[in-house]
Amino acid sequence: MKKLISLVALASLGLGLVAAAPAGDLVQAQKDRIAAYKAKPKAKSHVAFVSNGVADFWTIAKAGAIAAGKELGCDVTVEFPGGGLGDQKRMLEDLLIKGIDGISVSPIDPTNQAEVLAMVAEKSLLITNDSDAPNAPRLCYIGMDNYDAGLMCGKLAREGCKGGKVAIFIGRLEQDNAKRRRQGFIDGLLGRTPDPTRYDEPSKVFTEAGYTIVGTWTDSFDRAKAKANIEDVMIKHPDLALMTGLFEYNSTLAVEVIRQTGKEGKVQLAAFDEGADVIAGIKEGFVLGTVVQDPYGYGFESVKVLNAFTKGDMSMVPASGVINIPARVIRKDNAESFWKDLKAKLKAGKEAGAKK
Amino acid sequence: MKKALGIIGIFAAIFIVACIFGENFLTGINLMQLTQRAALYSILALGASLVIVTGGIDLSIGSVVCLAGIMTPWLLVEHEWAPAQVIPTVLLMSAFIGLCHGLLVTRLRLQPFLVTLCGLLLYRGIARWMTGDQTQGFMGEFGEVRAIALTKFAIPGIENYRIPSTVIPMIVLAVLIGLFFSRTVWGRWLLATGRNESAARYSGVPTAWLVTMSYVACSLLAGFGGMLFIFDIGSAQPSDFGNFYELYAIAAAVLGGCSLRGGEISVIGVVVGAATLQVLRNTIILVGLSSQLEFAVIGAVLLVGVAADELIRRFNARRLERTGAAASA
Repeated sequence: MKKLISLVALASLGLGLVAAAPAGDLVQAQKDRIAAYKAKPKAKSHVAFVSNGVADFWTIAKAGAIAAGKELGCDVTVEFPGGGLGDQKRMLEDLLIKGIDGISVSPIDPTNQAEVLAMVAEKSLLITNDSDAPNAPRLCYIGMDNYDAGLMCGKLAREGCKGGKVAIFIGRLEQDNAKRRRQGFIDGLLGRTPDPTRYDEPSKVFTEAGYTIVGTWTDSFDRAKAKANIEDVMIKHPDLALMTGLFEYNSTLAVEVIRQTGKEGKVQLAAFDEGADVIAGIKEGFVLGTVVQDPYGYGFESVKVLNAFTKGDMSMVPASGVINIPARVIRKDNAESFWKDLKAKLKAGKEAGAKK
Repeated sequence: MKKALGIIGIFAAIFIVACIFGENFLTGINLMQLTQRAALYSILALGASLVIVTGGIDLSIGSVVCLAGIMTPWLLVEHEWAPAQVIPTVLLMSAFIGLCHGLLVTRLRLQPFLVTLCGLLLYRGIARWMTGDQTQGFMGEFGEVRAIALTKFAIPGIENYRIPSTVIPMIVLAVLIGLFFSRTVWGRWLLATGRNESAARYSGVPTAWLVTMSYVACSLLAGFGGMLFIFDIGSAQPSDFGNFYELYAIAAAVLGGCSLRGGEISVIGVVVGAATLQVLRNTIILVGLSSQLEFAVIGAVLLVGVAADELIRRFNARRLERTGAAASA
């Protein structure tokens, strides 16, 4: 019993210490370490890139990270957590045990990962990619602004669909990028003045500017469920005018369901990311277009920035702390060239994966 | 049939609620999609029930669904095998997995829970490693193979509803399993093994062989189901495809009247159990409940349904006892 009490006391002391260190102090501590590197740069740094899950998107990012590692002569470890939050935490802890010099992570749930992110900042150098953790002690964020990307998707939808019922499908809403992307989409579609702090409740049905948002459906990455969600919503709303799939597979499955139900051209789709079926749908003309990110750039820039840190160089980080790698819209006219470029990068990613 | 009455009641209640409150629930296309989903999950649940009837459990169903489902497009698209090679290979592999489970349980006398839990980890790991965590899909091709799960047969006189092709294997399997238990000596031996393995063995029943074959059938059906799932969905990611499907299969089997202690099965109950879960998920969306409430609603409705079923059973048993006592007095 005594042992248990002392263990609990020790644990709470540990937690207290982590909680007691404010984000600002940890950022300063990291900057001090980078300043120290200036005097004594690391000859060969070892940095890590940690995704928020497993997807083709991340395979392309991996190709970017490995390519940067080769170019800059540093060691790169890439980790894809397949089992959600717990898995990502374990991977971060293991990397710290390994004595990694810097980590670029796409946090799954930044608010509830405050402790583990603080731990990374304390023992290594922390930057975020793809999905930001603005309140965590991260030195910078590499990626696009998900609100802006959502806004692009919303505007794309607005151009192609002049009003009616709209349904939103997304894997999960816990992560920062999902929330911002969804809000951006709604604001872009409804033609509102952009405001990233706005938040429309996912369960709220509302009509504005001629569009009725009938709901947002999540599936926790179960594809059969994701497909069933789309089918069921199309049954509930036979007059559905538009839908959007805000994660890659949501859009791919939307294309699949539209094809299976013969609703090509009857239900519009504003897509996200670069699923093969989505690109095919754009080429055929029944998908309005898709908003794509640059995962290769996320991987490449992450390694480049972390490597520069270990040489004492922080000049790549702007005052805002955000290194923007903007999203772009793929429509019928640029779909083919985009697809070719993507295939080449994916191939490079696979080869990098095979060598690792 | 008696064992299935409870789940049929729960199914009917949910169905009526869905008809009243669910928008467009009774449309042909919705019922068609529901039949498709119910058939797919029923195939997994029928497999699970064959192991549960022996008093065992198979936790690896979801991972076998994943491995078989992922391997199908992987072999077809990446390795350019012919469909006539891929389908038998994947089915044989699934049966081999079941054979390993069965032998480990009966010959090495390992706990089924442990053997299949290790399987759950092993097969998903293999699927992820084999594909390098890449999403596997048919890239818009192989329409003729996918037609195995995507064909819909028109019924003369009915316009919007067509029968999905997945219903055919589901019905064939249900009938075969039903006949196996009701008409063959092997079926009765398997039930006896589930009720009391030692007693069955001392009576000359080849229990080890029967239990092994149950695991073979379960994994074979999981692999077959996985293949149908991927034909239906079109693409899948090895890290999440089929996650928790074993729980849907086991829940459907137990709701349908299988006892986790073994020795009891109701084929109709298992199929209705699998359909109930799918109708419930569909109803939640059509009624307009928040999708965040989905698991809570499924859990609550099933718990209330099962509890009500048990109470009615006890009430009837007591009434029978009383009338019996009155008659003998």
